[in-house]
Amino acid sequence: MMTEGTYPYGFGGVSVWCDQLIRGMPGYDFHLVSLVASQAEPAVWSLPDNVVSMVRVPLWGPQPAAPAVSWRGGLPLRLLRQLIDALLDSSADAQRRFGYVLRELFDYSSQHGSLSAGLASDKAVRLLSNSWQERWPDSDRPAPTLHDAVAAMQLLDHSLRPLSYAPVLADIGHAVTNGLGVLPALTAKWRYGMPVLVTEHGIYLREQYLLNRRSPYRWPVKALYLRFMRHLCAVGYHEAAAITPGNVYNRRWEERLGAEPSRIRTVYNGVDPAAFPALTGEPEVPTISWVGRIDPIKDLETLLRAFALVHQRMPEARLRLFGSPPKGREPYLQSCRALAADLGIGEVATFEGRVENIRDAYDAGRIVVLSSVSEGFPYSLIEAMTCGRTCVATDVGGVTEAIGDTGLVVPPRNPERMARACLTLLRDAGLRRRLGAAARARALEHFTVDGAINTFDEIYSFLGSGHPLPMAHPEPDTGVLSGDLPRSQTAG
Amino acid sequence: MSALALPARWPHRAYPMSDGPGQPLMAGAHAEDSQPRDVEALCEQFALVCESAVDSLEIASALEFEGWSDQAVRERYGASDVFTLAEEMYLRVQRQPAEPEPLPDPWQASKVRPALHGLLYGLPTVCFPAAAGLLTGPSVLGVLVIALLTSWAMSQALAYLGYVRLGQTDSVQAARLLRAGMLAGLAGVMLALAVAAAALPARIPAIIFGAGVGAYMLGATVLIVLRGERLLLFVLAPGVLGAASFLLLGRPPQLQHAAWGALAATPLLALALAVVRTTRDAGLPALGRGRHARTAVAAGKLLAAAELRGALPSALFGLLAAGLLVFPVAAGLPGDRGTNTGALLVSLPLALSMGAAEWALVWFRRRTQRLLRTTWELRAFAIRARLVLLAALLQYLTAAVLLTIAVITVAAETRLVQLHWTALPQIAAYMALGGAMFLALLLQAFGSRIFPLVTCAAALAFEVAGRGLGVSVQLVTCTELLFVLAGYAALVLGSAVRHAC
Repeated sequence: MMTEGTYPYGFGGVSVWCDQLIRGMPGYDFHLVSLVASQAEPAVWSLPDNVVSMVRVPLWGPQPAAPAVSWRGGLPLRLLRQLIDALLDSSADAQRRFGYVLRELFDYSSQHGSLSAGLASDKAVRLLSNSWQERWPDSDRPAPTLHDAVAAMQLLDHSLRPLSYAPVLADIGHAVTNGLGVLPALTAKWRYGMPVLVTEHGIYLREQYLLNRRSPYRWPVKALYLRFMRHLCAVGYHEAAAITPGNVYNRRWEERLGAEPSRIRTVYNGVDPAAFPALTGEPEVPTISWVGRIDPIKDLETLLRAFALVHQRMPEARLRLFGSPPKGREPYLQSCRALAADLGIGEVATFEGRVENIRDAYDAGRIVVLSSVSEGFPYSLIEAMTCGRTCVATDVGGVTEAIGDTGLVVPPRNPERMARACLTLLRDAGLRRRLGAAARARALEHFTVDGAINTFDEIYSFLGSGHPLPMAHPEPDTGVLSGDLPRSQTAG
Repeated sequence: MSALALPARWPHRAYPMSDGPGQPLMAGAHAEDSQPRDVEALCEQFALVCESAVDSLEIASALEFEGWSDQAVRERYGASDVFTLAEEMYLRVQRQPAEPEPLPDPWQASKVRPALHGLLYGLPTVCFPAAAGLLTGPSVLGVLVIALLTSWAMSQALAYLGYVRLGQTDSVQAARLLRAGMLAGLAGVMLALAVAAAALPARIPAIIFGAGVGAYMLGATVLIVLRGERLLLFVLAPGVLGAASFLLLGRPPQLQHAAWGALAATPLLALALAVVRTTRDAGLPALGRGRHARTAVAAGKLLAAAELRGALPSALFGLLAAGLLVFPVAAGLPGDRGTNTGALLVSLPLALSMGAAEWALVWFRRRTQRLLRTTWELRAFAIRARLVLLAALLQYLTAAVLLTIAVITVAAETRLVQLHWTALPQIAAYMALGGAMFLALLLQAFGSRIFPLVTCAAALAFEVAGRGLGVSVQLVTCTELLFVLAGYAALVLGSAVRHAC
């Protein structure tokens, strides 16, 4: 299993998912390959017994097996030129050539060691700046400087570090993300013919685009690096024997980047029903509960503005927010508190911090609200559903697929709509009860951890035995209420 | 049916519905009505994104991030999906990428900080003559040399580890590591001194003074790494003021114990404040969500083996630098009383000049970064970077010479020492050593750590081997070290990739 920046070094949904999967499949041995920022990061999860080995691949520490300053830069000029050409060329063929050069780089590295000396060398910088000068359009676009060339080659060097590590020998390479995380799986495929399985909770490439909007690099570097990521993700989809997005919504991107539709299977996240039994009572005061990381992507501004509107109509209403900001996001929490105070709801909208038992957070509200602007397949939603709580959630990622007709979905960044949906539910105990029961039934039917694990067990046995996935039962589109579905939902 | 299949029931969206049981909250303005009417207007709204987009997928990401779904764009703009709309927007808008916000310049250090550092490095030198009464008896020099060498080595390694951790923006781990490292380093110094005490016929006061030197160096390192320079001035106040008054009053014997007390206050304060500071910074780390609490391991290992290996060159360099600085003092001149007053005196301005070295290093960094951003040719960059290197070295040497002249003038005026012209070669040797140390620091800052180590080790070996031959050996060795390091720096720092940061 290959991870990047998550299990076992980070918190969050993807890590929870990895832990569930590994613990749920005691019959399989897992070798972990974990891409981390630096060698020194501490693990935050204790590993289950069936993790038999773990390799840590630091992207930013000192280079692996660093040779002393290499004046010649071992990497052949031909390979460097091919890599740069594939990244600067916008023809349709560039994609295929990128995949080819990636494999050549791996072959070279397995014979001669680290690529770093070649990628971050004056020779590579000279090649890149010459190629840029030849191709740069005489337009208003800012021309690349030497600094840009150095920065770009550094980024490539760090990103390609996983190619310099010995491939892990196993039966299946399960990359828990596309992008850089897929590199260790690709090397194992190229060396041992190991089939690759790519699971995506969010869309890696989309996140890269969003991240790089605030890139500290100048446009030429950003353009080159995103082209690299786009090619890399496409190679990941192309080489994968199976792709398992965490929701149907993500398929659009995967197919857009050339993933073969017949290899895509949506596998939803699941929760353990035993940990989230049905809640019996409701809080006395009409309360809205929110659970998650305090992070801008959760768009708490919209939630607070929506609640201010709810509070106008229903002065006894309360909003309780459970969760803490990750490291470095404390200022966001402060700005949210300030906004609540400005809106005059400082007293009734309370930030409660982390809770020991997350079920208490769902118990605290008559309804649970999710206001995010981006989500894969949020655990908080399916946990709340399993508890039998009705949700109001924004229409992002896999939210509509999770909720179905058991809650209310509103457009993101729209406080009025969110407020209206909340009021609808807060005012109608019968509706809450009905939808809550339906939500629990839906979660128990489709979103249990056992269901997810059984699915992966099935996929593992198919891939491990060398068979392609059986032709999927076309994903059904029965019971559709609105005509609006992702385009992958055509019945066949 | 396997779990691979989708849930049978499909989403039911609240927003295409009528308002339902609740009354409309706001008359008139629904969010959709405030959204752009046509693609042109949408392009205007997303102008910044479109102008700096690298391809249409970047625009698609931004659209989705703002809440546009396939259905929404189909209803509003008739595009078949978000991707198609993004393609159209990409074609409509001319690329005009904005330059990125300039990053806060990490090298925009205040001019005060390096000067303050110089002062902090230099001030403790005043304490040594005031402690002369403690430093009597046999093997005093041996004890002092051991204390200086071990504590330089330990504090260099500690500073390296601390900065590495801070560079990973992990202030909690950095504080934990610094505190543990300081105590471990102190234990190392104590151990070395204990061995010295057993092996040499040294007196207890000298051993205690040596321990004080170690405690001060390690505590000061922690405070400097955590940017607590002002605290360090406070730490130095009793020792330095006490020692200076004692010396200026002509070392009155009745005040001797008071002066020693003042000296002892400084290392004790340094240790205490370093412990307080690191304990404050190492508050309990905040963990993630509740459900992970059970499986999460509270904290990782304090120190990875790789980090420790990384600190080794720093420790060795500290050892060698201290050796090069202290050896001529300890070796003495033929026929002298054992100590070399010229060398002792010049070591003060040399310590002060390390502030100038930091300043010149920062200056070099900023100039070469600017050069990278304004140059298109590798060859042109190499030539200009070498000129900048030469200028930085000259800046440092000028500062070091001026500081030396100032210190010697003050010392001569106050009749603390009498100096002869014969001391000139020694002073010149120390200036060359200062220049070499500046270059070694510069090379280390640019990731070249082994070469300075090897050359400094060779230089020290030469000085030890030629110890009977007087100052000429030191002069020749230090000058050669300066030239060798300058040549190597010119070679290495002319390469553009070395300047990536």
